[in-house]
Amino acid sequence: MSEETKGKKPVSGKRRAISLILFLLAAVLLVLAALGQSLRSKQRTIDNLNTMRENAVLHAASGGLIDSIANQASSDKLKELRADKDFRRMGLNEVNSKTQAAADEARAEAEKLYMSIEVTDHAAMTAVIDELGGDLEIAGNQEEKERSAYSEMYVELIDTVPDWTDLRDGAADEDALFDGLVSFVPDLGKEENAHLRENFLKLSNDKADKEQIADEAEALNMLTSSMVGAVGDFTEYSGMGDDEIWAALTELLPELEESGHKDELLAAAKEHIAAAEKGETIEEPVKDEGVETTYGTLTDYSYFAESPELSSFNEKADKTYQSLWSILVGLIPDLEKLDNKMANTMRENIEHIVWPGSDDFYTRYEAYIGQGGAEALTGSDARNMTLAADVLRFLVAGLAVLLFALAFTFWKGLVKQFGVPRTIIFLFFVYLCLAAVLYNISVPMMLGNVLERFGMYGILVLAMLPGIQCGIGLNMGMTIGCIAGLLGIVLSLQFDMIGIPALVFACAAGALISVPLGFCYSKLLNRMKGSEMTISTYVGFSFVSLMCIGWMMLPFNNRKIIWLLSGHGLRVTHSLLGSFAHILDKFAAFKVFGMEVPTGVILFVLLFCFLMWIFSRTRTGIAMTAAGSNPRFAEASGINVDQMRTIGTMLSTVLAAVGIVIYSQAFGYAQLYTAPRQLGFIAASAILIGGATVSKAKVSHVIVGTLLFEGVLVLGQQIANSVVAGGGLSEVMRIMISNGIILYALTQSGGGKRE
Amino acid sequence: MEDFILEMNHITKQYGSNTVLKDVSLKIRPGEIHALLGENGAGKSTLMNILFGMPVIHSTGGFKGEVSLKGAPVKIESPMDAMEKGIGMVHQEFMLIPGFTITDNIKLNREITKPWPVSRLLGKDLELLDGEAMAKDARKALDDVGMNIDEYAPVAGLPIGHMQFIEIAREIDKQGMQLLVFDEPTAVLTESEAQQLLKVMKQIAARGIAIIFITHRLEEVMDAADNITILRDGQLVKTLKSSDTSTDELAALMIGRGDESVIQVDKREGEVSEKIAMTIRDLWVNMPGEVCRGVDLDVREGEILGIGGLAGQGKIGIPNGIMGLYEAVGDVELYGEKIPLNSPKKSLSAGMAMVSEDRRGVGLLLDHSIEDNIVFSAMQIHKDFLTKLHQKDTKRIRSYAQEMKEELDIRCTSTAQSAGTLSGGNQQKVCVARALALNPRFLFVAEPTRGIDIGAKQLVLETLVKLNRERNMTIVMVSSELQELRSVCDRIAIIAEGKVAEILKPDSSDTEFGLAMSGFKGVRKKESEEVGTDE
Repeated sequence: MSEETKGKKPVSGKRRAISLILFLLAAVLLVLAALGQSLRSKQRTIDNLNTMRENAVLHAASGGLIDSIANQASSDKLKELRADKDFRRMGLNEVNSKTQAAADEARAEAEKLYMSIEVTDHAAMTAVIDELGGDLEIAGNQEEKERSAYSEMYVELIDTVPDWTDLRDGAADEDALFDGLVSFVPDLGKEENAHLRENFLKLSNDKADKEQIADEAEALNMLTSSMVGAVGDFTEYSGMGDDEIWAALTELLPELEESGHKDELLAAAKEHIAAAEKGETIEEPVKDEGVETTYGTLTDYSYFAESPELSSFNEKADKTYQSLWSILVGLIPDLEKLDNKMANTMRENIEHIVWPGSDDFYTRYEAYIGQGGAEALTGSDARNMTLAADVLRFLVAGLAVLLFALAFTFWKGLVKQFGVPRTIIFLFFVYLCLAAVLYNISVPMMLGNVLERFGMYGILVLAMLPGIQCGIGLNMGMTIGCIAGLLGIVLSLQFDMIGIPALVFACAAGALISVPLGFCYSKLLNRMKGSEMTISTYVGFSFVSLMCIGWMMLPFNNRKIIWLLSGHGLRVTHSLLGSFAHILDKFAAFKVFGMEVPTGVILFVLLFCFLMWIFSRTRTGIAMTAAGSNPRFAEASGINVDQMRTIGTMLSTVLAAVGIVIYSQAFGYAQLYTAPRQLGFIAASAILIGGATVSKAKVSHVIVGTLLFEGVLVLGQQIANSVVAGGGLSEVMRIMISNGIILYALTQSGGGKRE
Repeated sequence: MEDFILEMNHITKQYGSNTVLKDVSLKIRPGEIHALLGENGAGKSTLMNILFGMPVIHSTGGFKGEVSLKGAPVKIESPMDAMEKGIGMVHQEFMLIPGFTITDNIKLNREITKPWPVSRLLGKDLELLDGEAMAKDARKALDDVGMNIDEYAPVAGLPIGHMQFIEIAREIDKQGMQLLVFDEPTAVLTESEAQQLLKVMKQIAARGIAIIFITHRLEEVMDAADNITILRDGQLVKTLKSSDTSTDELAALMIGRGDESVIQVDKREGEVSEKIAMTIRDLWVNMPGEVCRGVDLDVREGEILGIGGLAGQGKIGIPNGIMGLYEAVGDVELYGEKIPLNSPKKSLSAGMAMVSEDRRGVGLLLDHSIEDNIVFSAMQIHKDFLTKLHQKDTKRIRSYAQEMKEELDIRCTSTAQSAGTLSGGNQQKVCVARALALNPRFLFVAEPTRGIDIGAKQLVLETLVKLNRERNMTIVMVSSELQELRSVCDRIAIIAEGKVAEILKPDSSDTEFGLAMSGFKGVRKKESEEVGTDE
């Protein structure tokens, strides 16, 4: 030991130097941030900012003009070239370079003319800009308020109205229809929302129209498929005339007559006959069952209307803009020559400069800089402004370096306390939060998402716990339980159950089915001691594959869940929106600091965690844990180790069954076939991040692990999407993190084997 | 000087602060059979590890002293190095590949090869095996060890005795072999095979190869060895000629006098009752490495019965078999009640408890708290320490653990600390506490002092005696440390070859113990009579 410490001394000296440097760097960054913050409140800075604003407005005007002149020159040149007889022989490059040259020339000339223009009456200009800023702020805030109120009403309406056609048919006139809408969304009836009446009526009508079309198409679809099913062999109809076919069909299925779709049905029948004559069959058109990845309803703003109040605000802003415009025209008379489109674009630019959406220093600075506002400043002023603008960046960078320095300095202690993966993941999580601040992502909203996903995955992760405790290690075969749970869900759909009873039924049925499955599975595992990980992964995968056949063969017959055309076999994705989607998530849900808390599902998960904790303190629970952590010890104490492993495995399987039901209710969809295959890996890595090992785990590991894992994923996904466009990165990250963690845990425990 | 083939002078070896060899010297002449005697832990294996340059020696700081071969000091870096210098080892566990033929095994990694076109092109690694030449060599080696078995026969399925001889054949086939070490070669052999082996050893020695013969069978030593070195507790006791000594003297030297016993325990006042607590008849236990082959034993009520013997003779198998931890057959009765074997639960319920010899493996849940460990068995067997709602009763558990902590002097900061963080001695006390929580009337204690320091040893043994005296608990204590048994036990049963060789008093002579442990008397003697090879 003493030699070791001697050997490490120089290293620790180096470490100390590095951490000192890191702390210094953090301090410098934080001091810069503080400096910038103090600069922000200085009068000089505020004056500078206003100078920048004025300059930016002027630049937006002159720049826009110059752009438009250059564009004009370019298109004139193109016209001229087109008129040339040699035009066709010119290459694209040649044309481009010629038009570009013309544009550059025009731009240079225009710049000479307009760039050096300066504001003559600063006071008047500032006054107008200030006034416009105020007007825009009022109008903008009002519009935002109205839009969010509109959005809430829209979503509520879409989510609650069960049948638009019924609603419309049931109403005698527009007033009655509107009253009907108000009965679903009381806010709509308020005085202040009167201006939205027309649009919402239109919305209601549009929805009803769409629904009717969809209903009819669906009805026709079902009729066609039942017709195809009833006929069986279309060759019998070969050579008949239309009327004869129709007569035969209606004789076979009288309801065809009443459907009123004679033409369409007849056409479909003839298609089948033609195919049958050639000895072919028409394949069922496979519907694309795309899964909606976004949660909830998206707001369609096309039915939005301004309130009279907002209109008056907008008018006021218009007027003020006109006076600003006239000042600008006074400075640059050529602005008058602009066409409407250019003028509007310019107006948007200028309004964005005058009121960038917030009073915040950084927002303003960014808006001005974008329009060349910085040119008005020189020397120390420019430097100070940059510093003041970058306060947030310095702050975040400073905190990040500080955190790194702390982690670096106390690394050994942290690792000893939490283990390498948990430390790294936690640091990563904090860095993600910092990055979220930098990328202007709403952290409360993200935390709300994390809570939602905690509810979603909580019980699935909990299902790992008894497996680890009883000694079978990471129960990758929990997919068996997941499939039992999915069966429970599909059964509840088969019996057209809805609401809480459906949820309870799905859980109970899933749990019941999973009991015998878990029992058989545990018997297998007891015969394969020492290689449980391999066996459970393999069993999990092969059971999913087996059930891919099973889902096709099981005798479900509710048309809502089976493939319509073939008449048997379950579809891949089942929407639970009509039955129990989000039922727990919405139970007693509330919003705090912009963070949505799905109370019900969190309570549900915590309840199960509590039950598991209670169980772990019973005689059987203690025996099970002992059997897992030291089977020889347990055996010597008279415990039937195999029986304990069976109990643990069955518990894990049952929890997985309940878990997938909760998962599906939070997701809003139940996915069959290969969908549950990866769940085991997610659950395993979550509990491992929580601090569990393949042979030891506690309830707290489940809670911490799920929060951390989902936290990293949710935040990481958002940030990855802001940094790199495209959504694929987050999935790659999920796979990397989860599989990496599992690998790490296995290296720590020496493979799937336990001593 | 140069007539010694091997000299090991003043060898001292420490593992940490633990001295396992102290100033040991060993000198061996060519063609000599030199027996190395000693109890388990006397330092024989360490000495051989040094001779073979095993990594375990180098990685723990090397050793002090000097090794010379043929008078020249050498440094043996690795077993490979030792082999090249002409030192060979016949292992106790056979290092043979079952699926290969005898020839293949003998010539493994020293194959005779002949070139062919491809190997000429691509190098020596691809040369063909010269099967005929190899078989010829193997034949010769087999003849040398007196085996007339077919050299092409596969090793798998051969009797164990044959494997031992193949192992030897492989060693003597090596070129330039000067010194062979036989590590307990007769342990797994039948009597006649053992005789054959000794004969082969003498033949090999006659060819000028020196032999170090490690064994604990004294009669074999007397038969085969020229010189004998005896080690005890890492120290050289004596080197003597076999013609000048007797088995009795050897036994006494091996055991040593227990006068300087480090453990002092109060002697019993009065006599142990004659009432029998447990009778064991014809107990066979299939515990790997510690097989019992028909143990007959009576345990009297209120006594401390010691079970001693050398490692691997089956003494540990007795408690493990009775407690149901290993497959066992036989009749065991506790106070006249028959104990169903092979069920730990039933054994525990019958009022027996055991402190296992495998403390960390069987005795403890290392990552659970001390208090959970202590009450675990009682909770499982007697449903003790549970609340009305069948939850564990943390309060009662804590107070009981506290009580035990004070009674047994368990040194820990808190009883909620995990058992794995304790020192060996304190872990052992936790194991004892766990057994006591069951409130047993009959206690097995296996190797209670293994791997714990001297102060803790004293405490553990005192605790056992106290339990015995105060609670009148019948204790069966299994230990490899004879001194320990002699200081606390009322009677000591010595196990050899899986049977009770002799039941001795603690004050029986060293010679008696030594002979019993070597299996010289009792069982062993009867067997030799049966075979008819009485000397």
